[in-house]
Amino acid sequence: MTDQTPPALVHLVDDDASVRAAVEDLLASVGLSTRSYVSAADFLDRAHLDEPGCLVLDVRMPGMNGLDLQQALQRRGLALPIIFITGHGDIPMSVRAMKQGALEFLTKPFRDQDLLDAIDQALRRAHEAHAQRQQLQDLQARLDTLNEGERAVLARVVTGLLNKQIAAQLGVSEITVKVRRAALMRKLQAGSLAELVKMMERLEALRS
Amino acid sequence: MDRRPFATTTHWLRLGGLCALALGIAVLDTFTDREIAIGVFQVVVVLLAAGFLSTRGVTVTALGCALLVLCSYVATRTGDRDAGLVNCIISLLAIVAVAALSLRLDAAKRAADAARTRLIQAGRLSQLGELAASIAHEVNQPLTAIAASGNACQRWLSNQPPQVERAVQAAQRVIDDAHRASAVIARVRSLVRQAQVAKDWLNVADTVEKVLDFVRAELAQRQVAVEVRLQEGLPPLLADESQLQQVILNLLLNALDALEGVPPEQRRLVIQVGQDTAGAIRLGVEDSGRGLTPAARERMFEAFYTTKEQGMGLGLALSRSIVEAHGGRIWATALPEGGTGVYCSLPKDQQP
Repeated sequence: MTDQTPPALVHLVDDDASVRAAVEDLLASVGLSTRSYVSAADFLDRAHLDEPGCLVLDVRMPGMNGLDLQQALQRRGLALPIIFITGHGDIPMSVRAMKQGALEFLTKPFRDQDLLDAIDQALRRAHEAHAQRQQLQDLQARLDTLNEGERAVLARVVTGLLNKQIAAQLGVSEITVKVRRAALMRKLQAGSLAELVKMMERLEALRS
Repeated sequence: MDRRPFATTTHWLRLGGLCALALGIAVLDTFTDREIAIGVFQVVVVLLAAGFLSTRGVTVTALGCALLVLCSYVATRTGDRDAGLVNCIISLLAIVAVAALSLRLDAAKRAADAARTRLIQAGRLSQLGELAASIAHEVNQPLTAIAASGNACQRWLSNQPPQVERAVQAAQRVIDDAHRASAVIARVRSLVRQAQVAKDWLNVADTVEKVLDFVRAELAQRQVAVEVRLQEGLPPLLADESQLQQVILNLLLNALDALEGVPPEQRRLVIQVGQDTAGAIRLGVEDSGRGLTPAARERMFEAFYTTKEQGMGLGLALSRSIVEAHGGRIWATALPEGGTGVYCSLPKDQQP
């Protein structure tokens, strides 16, 4: 099932060494790579969250528990899909976790397929988020190549102004506007005005 | 009223003394002048009655005393009639006031007793609850690992080509974790055994009495008649008293729960302490409840097995561990007249 999926990392936080070893091996048997952590603090110290991934997190741990880690990640603005695993999955706890955006809440011992399905879903979500971030970065990089004049034209083109109106507003000739417009279309790799508008809308949406 | 048979003789003696005192005061009151208010001493009778009689008994005594005061007022021939009337009214008021106050005191004491019993029970339950939760967690971890490793093993084998070496490693982890789960359980068992360092020579009859004092209020509240059958001249037993108390308390509380839903006049509990032919101390708690199904009786000593809604299923399991740690055994039988009897025998030659 993981053949077509691009590389992704499953982070596993559980204080129990046997559980870590077993889950790591289970994930390895279906071709998933895992990085394990002995505690929430260990995860915050060592985890590199640049590449897409998800978090399989034990709720009951000494020190910072799983729910606290979930909150800490949210405070740092790290949107990592989380699958909780818990020994005593009482309802209030799972409700709290789900309300805070957990993807799944599994009770130990869990069925392997349940965990694998949850991870599959989590990684798909992680890839989407990752791709979106990538797009945003690309677009931002392309925007950065525009010069002052091109940027001024861009801001007016997307609001639907005609070249003549833009020229009047900026106090330049219509030819200049045409040249800048052609340049920004090329730099932003936009094929048409419609595509340019869509691109800017998406950028706006991703930024918010 | 106190219904323990071994207390009945003392009970009747006290009652006789009380009547004699009340009559004595009345006679004295009758043969002295009306001005001398001997009748007011009937409050002593009421106070004494409050010490060992039930609410109804105290009320009856107070009424009786009031009646005696009235009778002696009518029967008295000498002295001032008006002063006698005032004295009579004062005596009556004093009797009523003392009876009311002592009854209120008694009710407050009983409420305090009941609260104490509930507290003890709640403490016991919450301790057991915590113990159960931590055992459950400790055992659940290796079980989780076993399930996951088992799944991994299957998947390594069904991969193309099968990865036998990885599968063998996973199987090895299954075995290791199974041993780990078993070690957790062995630790729990040894917890019970370790706690027996406080063994001492003790009189089982005294231990039973101590536990009964514990639950006396609960017994009265649930209107259960208790009969204690003690064999004379029991040898001392080498045992951990607090553990033995726990066993007896568990058996008693279970028996009380079994009597729930039985009409009050049929709620009977028999506690037996005796010696069997082999010389072992035998302790039994029999109830007149509805009894258990054979299936329930077979499983009742298993941990986490319970027929009660609020039950944890640990009381009898712990009792069995304690009794076995003392070299004894525990069993239950259905009684011919309905109800259940739970017995344990503890060998007398218990050596440290």
